[in-house]
Amino acid sequence: MADLQATLLGGEEMEVSFGPQHPATHGVLRLQLKVDGERIVNAKPIIGYLHRGTEKLFERETYPQCIPHTDRMDYTAAATNNQGFVGAVEKLMGITIPPRAAYIRMILAELQRLSSHIIWLATHALDIGAVTPFFYTFQEREKILDLFEEYCGARLTLNTMRIGGVPWDLPEGWTERCRRFVEELPKKIEDWERLLTNNRIWKARTVGVGVIDAEKAIAWGLTGPPLRGSGVQWDIRKVFPYDHYDEVEFDIPIGKNGDTYDRYLVRMEEMRQSVRIIRQCLDKLPDGPVMAWVPKVIRPPKGEVYFSVEGPKGELGYYIVSDGGVTPYRVRVRPPCFVNLQALPEMVKGHLVADVVAVIGTLDIVLGEIDR
Amino acid sequence: MSLWGFLASVIPLDLLTGLKTTGKHLFARKATVQYPEQRLEPADRFRGMFGYSLERCNVCRACEKACPIGIIHIESHWEEYEVEGKKRKRQVIDRYDIDVKRCMFCNLCAEACPTEAVWLTTKTYEAAAYERNHALYFDKEKLMRWDGVKPFPGVKTPAEGGLPYFSLGGEKEEEQ
Amino acid sequence: MSELLWTYVGIPLLKILVILLALVLLAAYLSWFERKLLAYMQIRLGPNRVGPRGWLQPIADALKLFVKEDLTPGFGEKFVFLLGPVLIIVPALLVFSVIPFGPSPNLFITDVNIGVLFVLAVSSIGVYGIILGGWASNNKFSLMGGLRSAAQLISYEVPMGFSVVTVLVMAESLSLVRIVEAQREAGVWFIFPGFVAFFIYFVCGIAETNRNPFDLPEAESELVAGYHTEYSGMKFAFYFLAEYANMVVVSSMATVMFLGGWLRPFPNVAALNFLDVVPPLGWFLLKVAFFLFVYIWFRGTFPRYRFDQLMGLGWKVLLPVSLVNLLVVAYFVALPRGQV
Repeated sequence: MADLQATLLGGEEMEVSFGPQHPATHGVLRLQLKVDGERIVNAKPIIGYLHRGTEKLFERETYPQCIPHTDRMDYTAAATNNQGFVGAVEKLMGITIPPRAAYIRMILAELQRLSSHIIWLATHALDIGAVTPFFYTFQEREKILDLFEEYCGARLTLNTMRIGGVPWDLPEGWTERCRRFVEELPKKIEDWERLLTNNRIWKARTVGVGVIDAEKAIAWGLTGPPLRGSGVQWDIRKVFPYDHYDEVEFDIPIGKNGDTYDRYLVRMEEMRQSVRIIRQCLDKLPDGPVMAWVPKVIRPPKGEVYFSVEGPKGELGYYIVSDGGVTPYRVRVRPPCFVNLQALPEMVKGHLVADVVAVIGTLDIVLGEIDR
Repeated sequence: MSLWGFLASVIPLDLLTGLKTTGKHLFARKATVQYPEQRLEPADRFRGMFGYSLERCNVCRACEKACPIGIIHIESHWEEYEVEGKKRKRQVIDRYDIDVKRCMFCNLCAEACPTEAVWLTTKTYEAAAYERNHALYFDKEKLMRWDGVKPFPGVKTPAEGGLPYFSLGGEKEEEQ
Repeated sequence: MSELLWTYVGIPLLKILVILLALVLLAAYLSWFERKLLAYMQIRLGPNRVGPRGWLQPIADALKLFVKEDLTPGFGEKFVFLLGPVLIIVPALLVFSVIPFGPSPNLFITDVNIGVLFVLAVSSIGVYGIILGGWASNNKFSLMGGLRSAAQLISYEVPMGFSVVTVLVMAESLSLVRIVEAQREAGVWFIFPGFVAFFIYFVCGIAETNRNPFDLPEAESELVAGYHTEYSGMKFAFYFLAEYANMVVVSSMATVMFLGGWLRPFPNVAALNFLDVVPPLGWFLLKVAFFLFVYIWFRGTFPRYRFDQLMGLGWKVLLPVSLVNLLVVAYFVALPRGQV
């Protein structure tokens, strides 16, 4: 259709450099758009503007020193990044963490998922033109950050997990405050949904935009909400349970059509499921130590390991090769955003310029993780 | 199209609920914190500026080794002294510098310290400076005096005997 | 001789000056009002540092824009780039020469007997400012913004025109003063018989002024800042001012045509005479303020339409509906007179 239009109207293709300094590219993503009028003929993501050599950096840091660097990859979800890395090292060393530590990790990871989804919702809505949800959602994110601050002292780059457990026990009254927060949150989510879910403009902008069917989604290696939005029930927490995710009940929401609207619904439902998980974790929270015995100098045995967690954006995997020394020989991160971003040209082709921002928003990319 | 579908498309109930929500918030309590006048108190574990206690430091250099980006610089020499007629040696610290402008506040130095001589729970977040190379480079005197970085009201400086708010394992430090 | 000079030059000039000043001030304070209101809807406080409760914020903004460096893009068309802001601000302010703020001749500059046509004609010139400004910036995003805006204005002009014709059929005059008088004689505001026309007019009005949810030309998340991406300093201020002035124009026109201008509610019901304590000008301003509030409320609530959806809405929904509405209204106007 687009081709036909181009030939009929004699349109000339224009190249637009979308980013890296652009309000809607969520960082420093650059898209080379070929447009015919407003219609996208081709889109080529150009990445690397935020490359910090994190993987190389891991090779000269000892294992515990790597953890703060993982914070800075997906800076909207530091806790799950930590969880992936320490999980990989623990798997390599064969350490079992105490149950209390595992539960604390799960609570932190789910809070982090909530916070990351909140950022996604805020920026996604902002990109599509609704300014107000941004402020309502960030109100709640602030409360999550306050909880993080009370627990570990940092708000964004948490550095909150250590090899063998978590560094601190929960402070006094934290569980009550956390419970109060998760009791209140579903009401707030309803409030946000009232602004968007049934809104005809929101629907017009998201339904049928950036469609990717299940087969293609798997072929592109999508994970996380973009995959589940296409109707594939795949969640690392369910299929390869880590920590104690097999002990809590939760559902995996899936979409039908694989469009932006379905992914929106999936994420909204995931937030409710996260609340459910946190509630169960708080109920089940066992007593005991929060740190397993680990040697003072961490020297994993020679070998390699792959361990992945379900980050807010998809499967976050760490592949570590150890030569038996104090530093990893090689670390390779499987970032969900990087893989998800690959599907962007496929998803925007034939759509309009305005849909590009909707699709960038729905993929929920973080450039810190893509470029590392 | 069914009658209901037609009515739903003509009467913009979906838009009206949105308007109602924002209208409701128009009269809600505002969340803004007027910063210079109102300040939020950081949590007890908040990782802000460094606290450093010279008396407790036994120059083990664990913090220096733990730091992922190597911003802690320690220099020391051995000194002989006499206790009850016996000669002993001890390490005396010459320099204890932290390049705070590069710090990422990961808390690994504080965790590595066996004597809790360095800690980050000073409830200070106003560490901005007009010039970073000098104003944010802290040697041991500056670390103890907190020159240029104001602690949160009510927090004692290390020189006044201020101590970390919590130590490893979550036990609260006893008040002295 | 001097009396003539006074009547035909002095007083009109004075009126023009007063209205112009009031309007510029109003537009500036509208930005304050918008920021404040939007902030309150978003549970924050908005500007409150400059002056008490932020009252001096617009002045500070204006001063800032005055002293800002005036940049012209290197490969842009310099003269056209300069022409853009002029072309957009002049029509926006010119329209106010025919808008009646009250019944007394002192409250409007002139009563042209083709007032409505004048407003429609003059306000359409503004699109040149946008499209030329966008083109002369030599920026692809600006160009797209300008083109979008041109397409949007042209397509929404049509249903807007038809909804205005509905009013003309009811009032049987093109003069804005006469339209208000007709509403007094009819004893009812035209919004009641012509609510469909009113709805279409207001939707088109929002689209004409490029406001949310139709603010595509300056869609920040897609086109950076749309047609005025490259503008800075006072040139930008003109675009900014024109947008707010246009909002006031659309609100005033809606007030005049549908909400009885300066009339109080139910102008012929004697029982409501106590409402006359508010002067006619007060009623007018109140109604305009209400529209402006709705404008900002919309901006605080809705996402943004996509370009093709916007055009679809204009041509496929609003245009047919406004045509049918015009026929129906015309039929009912003609029916009692036996003209059908």
